[in-house]
Amino acid sequence: MIEVDTLAKHFRAADGTLVKAVDGVSFSVAAGEIVGLLGANGAGKTTAMRLLATLLAPTSGTARVAGHEIVTDPLGVRRHLGYLSATTGVPDRLTPREVLSFSGRLHGLAADAVAGRVAELVATLGLEAYGDRPCGRLSSGQRQRVSLGRALVHDPPALVLDEPTSALDVVGARDLLDLLERLREEGRAILISTHRLHEIERRCDRFVIVHAGRVVAQGSREECAGTPGGLERAFFAAIAGSGAP
Amino acid sequence: MSGSTKQPGRWQVILAVAHRDLLEFVRDRRTLFVTFLMPMAMYPILALASTLGLRTALSDLDARQTPLPLALVLSGPDAPLVAERIAAVFDTADNPGPDWPASVTLAIMPPGEAIQLLEAGRIDGWIALPPQGGGLLDGQETLPLEARLAAAEPPDARPRRHLVALVRAVAEDARRRRIMAAGLPESVLEPVTLVFPNDAAEPAAASMEGVVPTAVAGVLVLLALLTATGGFYPAIDAIAGEKERGTIETLLIVPASTGDIVTGKFLAVFAVTLASLAVNAVSVLLTAVVLLRLLPAGFDLGIDAGEAAACALITLVAFCGLAAVAAAACLAVTSAARSTKEAQNTLTPVILLASGLAGFAVVPGVGGPLVAVLPFAGQVAVARQALSGGSGGALAGLLTLSLISSGVFSWLLLRAAATALADEELLFRGPDSAGGLLSRPAPRPLPTPMQGFAAALVAFATLWYVQGIAPADPALSLPLLQAALLIPLAALVAWQRVDRRDTFRLVWPGSAGRSILGSVLVGSGLFVIGAALMLTIRGTDISPAARNLAERLVPLVFEQPWWVGWLIVVILPAVCEELFFRGWVLAAFAGASPRRGRAVAAVLLQAAAFAAFHLLPERMPQTFALGVVLGWITLTTGSLLPAILAHAAHNAVPLVLLALVADGRDPLLLADGVPGWGVAVAVAALSGGVWLIAHAAAESKPEA
Repeated sequence: MIEVDTLAKHFRAADGTLVKAVDGVSFSVAAGEIVGLLGANGAGKTTAMRLLATLLAPTSGTARVAGHEIVTDPLGVRRHLGYLSATTGVPDRLTPREVLSFSGRLHGLAADAVAGRVAELVATLGLEAYGDRPCGRLSSGQRQRVSLGRALVHDPPALVLDEPTSALDVVGARDLLDLLERLREEGRAILISTHRLHEIERRCDRFVIVHAGRVVAQGSREECAGTPGGLERAFFAAIAGSGAP
Repeated sequence: MSGSTKQPGRWQVILAVAHRDLLEFVRDRRTLFVTFLMPMAMYPILALASTLGLRTALSDLDARQTPLPLALVLSGPDAPLVAERIAAVFDTADNPGPDWPASVTLAIMPPGEAIQLLEAGRIDGWIALPPQGGGLLDGQETLPLEARLAAAEPPDARPRRHLVALVRAVAEDARRRRIMAAGLPESVLEPVTLVFPNDAAEPAAASMEGVVPTAVAGVLVLLALLTATGGFYPAIDAIAGEKERGTIETLLIVPASTGDIVTGKFLAVFAVTLASLAVNAVSVLLTAVVLLRLLPAGFDLGIDAGEAAACALITLVAFCGLAAVAAAACLAVTSAARSTKEAQNTLTPVILLASGLAGFAVVPGVGGPLVAVLPFAGQVAVARQALSGGSGGALAGLLTLSLISSGVFSWLLLRAAATALADEELLFRGPDSAGGLLSRPAPRPLPTPMQGFAAALVAFATLWYVQGIAPADPALSLPLLQAALLIPLAALVAWQRVDRRDTFRLVWPGSAGRSILGSVLVGSGLFVIGAALMLTIRGTDISPAARNLAERLVPLVFEQPWWVGWLIVVILPAVCEELFFRGWVLAAFAGASPRRGRAVAAVLLQAAAFAAFHLLPERMPQTFALGVVLGWITLTTGSLLPAILAHAAHNAVPLVLLALVADGRDPLLLADGVPGWGVAVAVAALSGGVWLIAHAAAESKPEA
């Protein structure tokens, strides 16, 4: 469902030096699979996810989402992808129902279909209690649920979630990850990045570990988290073995 | 899971974005306050303040014009005779004029008593007649009178004017008596008479007619400013606010083009700006109605209601274009900002610039098609033309030009907004430096657009102040003005640590011979064509400032050694202005390897700055065209040298022509225009030069 093929993104820093934020990474996420994209700060996770969401244009390489190429068919990619990042916000002066409704319209849902889809998401995400309250008055967890609803409004087969639990407390994070497992069961391909390795250790089917813009290790849950020391040990071993600073 | 959705229609996206943004705006009380309530309060406050001032001034004027009763005391042997004559002329006066007293009370007293009454303020004046008396009034000599007036608080000139009028009337009466006594006819006193038999009445003394155009010009500028301000907060909220809240990503990942998203946002901001215009217009009209009632009775504004309605309609139509340009400009500026703070800081000078352009349109003598196409100035110029009773055909033409120009500018600005909105650096990169004002920025290859804009502003301000204090001698003032350009630039280059070779394109052009020849041909041809057009359009009707400049330049050429003129008129401007405008400013606006849209925008922007830098309005079209061509040459050849040579050739043509005049040969430029053959040669030179440059650039890349 998501195929990343030697994808690279280079840019010039303010002092003119070349920064290789993503440097030829390749991995894939199949339908009905949750893949954890792991890496330290600055490893290139967010840039890779923005490339997949077509918010950035790659320097070289490519990626496909549901068969649509990110450079030649970005609109096709966007129709099949739900994207959410830790910095994604919600409009303060709109209610969750309005946010979902506008997102539905912007994704091409017919007017009659929008109302049904909004009602469905409100029920699925448990937004009933605050569905008509301005988003500016919601807690971080509630806002993140609204954001997830917005990413799901067009019922995409692939989800790219960049640190979706970073602003949530333990309960909120657990609820969201439970929800992702349900979405996986529906057959969606989910790529998730997080710093909280223990949260996703038992929930991801596979892991891709990136460091200094490159993939330094990838493997199944058993291969990475099944070893003594678990995922954390595998993560540090991969980074240490990469040779990159 | 259905798998995917269909591609949304273009207008579905545009309307959804517009609806979403409008909903957010109307729920923001600050936006509502600034956009709608502020104008509603602003006009009444300003009108009330100005009306009260005017009313007080007029009331005072009115009071000062009301005649007073005059109480006079006379002393001296001829006092009874003079008193009798004063009483007589007062009683028999016919249409005596504004200085005539309301009534006169006369008394005859010794000087001591008169002075006591005067000092006590019980009489207005005391007249002392000469002690010898003897019928001087009816003789053939002059009767010397001395008068003292009571001190009044506050000072009042009316008793003095009344007394002078009375004494003049008495003198006139005495003159008449003396002529009759001499046996001469009365017509001796009145050799000529003048009457206006068809005049109904003398116009009101305090007519407001002259005040109206000035007040209207002020209101138009204020209307333009407040209409443009209507787009200020919505535009900031629509893009910079969304970036700050992290919601812009949610729009950029919908299956729609950035252009459609910007168009949707434009519709929302435009709607608010239009609503702001409507509120402003209603407020202006209501204020005018209230103002009329507050004015003292009897003042004629000289306005016909039907004509006023037609003018208001034309103004509104023209200002709809202004609202569109303002909304698009606000969006373009805020799209290039990373945060609301950055957007506010950038948008404030833009709004001030818009006000400046609107103010430019109300300068006496400014108008015509060239002004009508300018954003913010054109709409005001059209409204002013309508209000000053311009003819229907010409006005319709100007209005159409203004509306077309508004559409074109709005479209260009929205294209710029869409490009800036998708800019990866603006979306995801933070500021380059966290240091304060005095911390030096990190080295970078080229200046940023903001640094280009700042440099242009600094140069303009420096030039403005320096030309005010520069000596009159052009041999000193012109190099000083170029230094005013170069010194801030040198400081900027040293401070910003840009790559100087890349910024100023200090490379040899490819196919150098053809590039250089082409540049010289383009520069010289452009001068002759520009001069021919200017002479055709304006004739020799140039402003005093331009005439002054020309009158100062001619002696420079003839009275100084030949190289002084070439240095000051040709070499210095070509080098300094090219380093600044086609070097720094163009590099800042265009960036490295710009796409066509950005390159065109950069060339136009630096040309506008170049034209503004020349300060004289009548030269601006020509300098703008020169700036565009020089910008094109620089981007095409990748080198600054051809632009310097083209600029030098452009400036050298008038020197060559002046030399021909000095040699007594037939000058190319005559008062009635450039001869046809001269224009033909210039067009051929320009076309040939463009062809040479384009082919030279196509054949070879610039050498490093």
